[in-house]
Parts: sequence; C-alpha cells; structure tokens
Amino acid sequence: MTIQRSTKDMPMLTTTEHASRRTARRLSLLVALAVTALPLAAQAQRKSPLADAPAVRKRYELRQTRFELGVGGASTVNQDFYHTFFVGVKAGFHFTDWLSLSAFGDFAVANVSTGFQGSITDALGDNPPIDREPTPGEAKAGMQKITNILGAQLEFTPFTGKYSMFGKLFASYDFYGLLGAAMISVKPTDEALPDCGDAKNLSIFSCKVSGMKPGANVGLGFHSYFTNYLALNVEFRDVIAKLNPSGRDVDGVGGANNADLTWTHTLLVSANLQFFFPTVPGVSF
Amino acid sequence: MKRPAICLFITVAIVGWAAIGHAKKGGGGKAADAGEAKPADDGAADTKASEPKADAAGSETGGEAVEPEPGKVEEEIGAEPKAQKATTTLTWKDIVVLPRKAFLKGNRLELAPFSGVTVNDNLIRHYVFGVDLNYFLTDALWVGVQGQYYVKQTLPEYQLLGLQYNRLSSANKYLYGGSLNFGYVPVYGKFAWINRRIVQWEIWASAGFGVTMTEVMARDPANDSKAFKNTALTPNVGIGSRFFLADWLTVNFALRDYIIPDKYEPNPNTYANADQAKANADSKLVNNLIFYVGVGIYFPMKFTYKTPG
Repeated sequence: MTIQRSTKDMPMLTTTEHASRRTARRLSLLVALAVTALPLAAQAQRKSPLADAPAVRKRYELRQTRFELGVGGASTVNQDFYHTFFVGVKAGFHFTDWLSLSAFGDFAVANVSTGFQGSITDALGDNPPIDREPTPGEAKAGMQKITNILGAQLEFTPFTGKYSMFGKLFASYDFYGLLGAAMISVKPTDEALPDCGDAKNLSIFSCKVSGMKPGANVGLGFHSYFTNYLALNVEFRDVIAKLNPSGRDVDGVGGANNADLTWTHTLLVSANLQFFFPTVPGVSF
Repeated sequence: MKRPAICLFITVAIVGWAAIGHAKKGGGGKAADAGEAKPADDGAADTKASEPKADAAGSETGGEAVEPEPGKVEEEIGAEPKAQKATTTLTWKDIVVLPRKAFLKGNRLELAPFSGVTVNDNLIRHYVFGVDLNYFLTDALWVGVQGQYYVKQTLPEYQLLGLQYNRLSSANKYLYGGSLNFGYVPVYGKFAWINRRIVQWEIWASAGFGVTMTEVMARDPANDSKAFKNTALTPNVGIGSRFFLADWLTVNFALRDYIIPDKYEPNPNTYANADQAKANADSKLVNNLIFYVGVGIYFPMKFTYKTPG
C-alpha cells in the first residue's frame, strides 16, 4: 500500500510556484530582520556625537596662522628712582590657536622721578659728615634710567572666550602667559660717572651702570578684539636682569663695581593696538 | 501572496517606528542648521550657534536664561514678517545673547576668605589675610564687610638705604583693618579652556571705607618704646574677578587700593614719649595696593533659575 504524503513533506515534488513563494517569504523575513537589527546595532554602538566635540564650534579663528603687528605704550611699575614711559612696537605670529612667537621693542620717551627718589634727596645735605654719604646731586648721579627694552617671547593661550560689558557691549578675548628673553638698556642719570669695573675701589661710591643687560622675560597678557582684525593687547611683564638701580654699593664690601649688579625685577605694563593679518579669519569646523 | 504582504507590512512598520524614534532622538535638526548658518563670533550669531549646542550639550553651555520653544525661536530668528504674526509676542531681540548664567548670586551670602600681598611698597612688603562677608542684593550688586590682618616683611631696599645713603627711612607697619564695601558687576564673560570646557566669570568694581591700624617702626631701635599706633580712616577702591566653579564656589582675584592718611615718626629730637611723637607726627597719604586671591563660598549653597512665565 502506498501512502500519499503531503506535498509539504515532499520538497522534491514541489512545483516552481511553491519554490518562488518560499523564496519570497525567506527574503521578506531576511529584509525585516536586517532592517530591524541594523538600526538597533548601530544605536548600540553610537555614542553622543558631541562626545569629542570642541566646546565652541563655528567660531572665528582669531589667532591660528595669523600675524599680528601693532604699536602702543608702556610704563614701568614700582621702580625705585625713575618711572619710565615707553612707546612700543610688537609683532608676532600665531602658529596655532594657543601658541605664538612674538617680539617687542619698548623705547623710553620719559623718565620721571619717583616720590621715593625725592624723599632720599630731600633728606641729604650738601655737606655730608662722612665720605659714604652722598650729596643730593651725587645720590642722583648714579640712579639708573631705562632707555629701551627689547625682547622675544613664546605665548601660550589656554583661555579664549567672550565677555559682555553692561550686558550691551560684546567682545572676544584671549588670555595668555608669556615666557622669553629680553635685553634691557640702562644708563645713569650722570653719564660722566666712572665705569663700573670688576675691581673693588673703596673710594668710588657710585659708578656708571650702562649698556644692554640680558635677562628673562615672563608675564601675562590678553587681547580684547574690537573687530576680527583689530585688538587691544595688554601685557604685564617682569624683566629679570642684573642691574643696580642706585649705582651704589650693594654687597656691603664698600665702593661700587660690577659685583654690585644683582638680579632685579623690572615690572612693566604695556598696551598696544594690534592688527591681525590676514584680516579675515578662518572659521572652525 | 498574503504572507509576503504581511511581512512587508511588518517591515514597513518596523522601519517607520525606528525612523520616527531616531528622528525624536536627534531633535532640533533645523535649529542645528540655523547654528551653522554663521560663525559664532558676534552677538547675534552667538545666539544662533549656541542655542542648538545648549540643547545638545547642555552640560557645557548651560542652556538659556530665557528658553522659548525651539519652534518659536526658529520663527523669530527667521525675521520673516509672517513669523512675526505667530502666537507669541517674542522677537529676536528678546533672546538673551549669552547662555544661561552658570551661577546666580542674588539674595545669597558670600563668605570669602583671602590672602594677598602689597605690591607697591619698595621698602616693606605686607602679607594680608582676611575675609569678606558679602550679601548680594541682586546678581550684580552687593554690600559687604571685610576684615584684614597684616604680617610685615622688610625688603632689601629698606636695609640698603643705610648702606648707600647713610639714612634710615620712615616706615610704618600695618596691623589690621576693616571696611564696609559696595560692589557692582559690570562685566560678565565666559571662556573655553583649550576649547574643551566652558567656564564663566565676571569682573567687579568695588568701593568702600573703613579703618586701618598702623604702627610706627622706629628708625632707632632705642626708640621702640616711643613707637605709636595710628587708627586711620581708610577709603578703598578695587577691581576683581570671580570664576564660577560650582553652584556654591568661586575663585576670586582682586586688586584693591586702601588709601591711608598715615602718621610717621617725627624727628626724634621733638618728642619724649609716644603721645608727643604722635602729636608731632608727619602725616602722609599712602596708597596701599594689595593683590589678593581667595575663594567664595555661597549660602544657600544652591539656587534655582526663574524663567519668565
């Protein structure tokens, strides 16, 4: 006896129509699975698109690969005997948004006596009782004036942003630290003084400290941008060089010479108007 | 044909569901386009650019103080006359330019210990330790009291005067002081730390008055017993900055000028005791410029934003 099996159980006996239906079913299921699984898999792998994003996007690159050039003024701060006022120039190139190399030159236009200098000269008499005590004129003769300061510096700019003043005026700014080298040129009030030699001469109470003195240059600064190509640049720097502001004995051995040069801090505040080139900045991604 | 049709229906349903879900998750697509329309560097552009970012990365920018519905914002920014006829009366001028302030100070108390150093005295350096207690009437205006305690250090120039000029300088040391101060915040800003983190800060200006206790440093140690103290009325002006680190914490920097009408040791021949010395003292106005650094701790330690209804 022959048992008739269902056509379902007999694939070898299926017709062409059956085969195409089955293929269609399988294809549909495959498409459904793929369409469902792929977004889920993608979603599982996806992290926030902002995870590695910069804090600010689409911003003007006010520094990166731009030159800056400007002029302005400067003043010493907290000097012993003379406040010095300068006109200055500064030029620089920004390699990146945060690193630049600049050079500056400040040239003295005025040396103004400090109150401290006046207190000393007022207290001195014209007939000193001992040799070491100067007359007012002798005291002033050795006091040091700054003629110019030249320097180069690397600038690191970690802070960049915007601020509002009274909620109305808005400006971009950056804030940086600077480190470099400088040459500070000085001369005494009376250039007729004898030069400071290396030998100690106990009869020379005041000598001529002059010329370029090399030193370090450290400080802080900021740009506040009026436009995309013009900024106010303020710097506060300390030029550390071997000087002798009084031109007199410092080490207590007696007499004045080169051994009395000591590492001295000359603090300066400068303000420049800086132009940036190219004048049209790029835009970050 | 029924089964493929059902499969196709299910497929379309699943794809449709996934697509809708993805669209919801992405959100604000059009707002993001608006942000890309112009670089984020002027006031108006900042609003456009920071708005979508505030939505997407709220932890970085903090969002807006005024937060209209995104759809409405788009309408107003569009500046189309048609958009002005929307149901809201807001215009683009109503949109605050800066992101929502990270820190509110109104009706809060600031306890701010600080330490500092005098920066303009060539002969004597004073280290100062003190505390400010400020109450903020508004977010920009405060009234406060300050106390200072000084520790002196003589500088080399003080010693060199004798060696170089055969003279000794008149000098006073500061002991302590107190003042009542008023402050105002005209400048508010933000910066990006290497373009990775946004920090908000402000610049303030302040003025006040108080007293400073000073003491004469006798030129001749033999006259130490005749040294006198002076309580001087001391107006002050200052400028400073706060950096907002947490809801209750700031780091503060300041430069304050204490203007002291001080009295100095007179000619030793004119007095026999401290009272006589004080009566014959030379008076001089001194600018005691102090740079100080401190922290501000705010009470209550939390605050809530108030958005327009």
